[in-house]
Amino acid sequence: MKRMTQMVSCIFLVLFSMSIQAQTKTEPWTEAQLKPTQELADEINAGKTKQLIINIGPQAVIKGSVDVGPGSEKANVKKMEKILAKADKNQEVILYCGCCPFERCPNVRPAFTALKEQGFTKARLLNIPKNIKTDWIDKGYPVAK
Amino acid sequence: MKKRSVVFLALAAFLIGTVAFAQDRELKVGDVAPEISLPTPKGDTARLSSMRGRLVLIDFWASWCAPCVEEQPELKKLYTKYAKQNGLYRKFQIFGVSLDSKKEGWQKIIRKYNIPWTQVSDLKFWTSPIAQDYHIDALPFNVLIDEKGFVVAVNLHGEKLENFIGEYLSKEI
Repeated sequence: MKRMTQMVSCIFLVLFSMSIQAQTKTEPWTEAQLKPTQELADEINAGKTKQLIINIGPQAVIKGSVDVGPGSEKANVKKMEKILAKADKNQEVILYCGCCPFERCPNVRPAFTALKEQGFTKARLLNIPKNIKTDWIDKGYPVAK
Repeated sequence: MKKRSVVFLALAAFLIGTVAFAQDRELKVGDVAPEISLPTPKGDTARLSSMRGRLVLIDFWASWCAPCVEEQPELKKLYTKYAKQNGLYRKFQIFGVSLDSKKEGWQKIIRKYNIPWTQVSDLKFWTSPIAQDYHIDALPFNVLIDEKGFVVAVNLHGEKLENFIGEYLSKEI
């Protein structure tokens, strides 16, 4: 019986540590670096946007954003780095894609990693859980013309 | 008189509410498939309604959507099996609608997989009115419509899609 208990607790421990590992499977961004869509939409609507908004997806949908193209392509990441080289390191920089949920998006990781390497104090990733249609356009947030 | 106005107002509110709700809902089996009239890669316009009389699979995809691209060889198998046989077009067709934003990316995939069926796109990514018309929330997405243009199935993939097409064609057309 003792052995059984030991075995069960051992299996439990292994599973527990595995689940922790799975949870902490590191993304290049932290929870605090995720920018809520509502917050950005309010800032754009108030006309107080001092931040740099960069599209790293297929199309620049957000009003006032700079289009560099999909972050999965190295040339586009280089393009982004050139733009960032001229920016103030304390300026808020917000990247967004919106093609698909983060887990399926090929663009957010390479682009955000490159942004972090530039040493910006306010590096942000726009929190788009589904896509730019559902989480931005359909909500009536400001779009580029 | 007052009572009448109240009843009228209530009825109007109900109708407006119903219309608003209807606009917001998903596409369902039995709905009429909204017309799609968009440019092909060559620049001419292709219409979904020109395919009436066949079972049509409307495949919504994009070159930036990896699962959509991975599905293309599967669709090609279905096309070969059900749409074209001995050089004759049978009672099944595929109508590809891309939510791409750039023509090069779109054409590259069509060329790579040698996709033979009609392809259209307004190159407007998620801002495309088609995404609104068909209430598309995520890709890949597809709709099967019957010979009269009514929706008969929504978002079937893999084996479910093949079984549906096989069974439908053996019974209905």
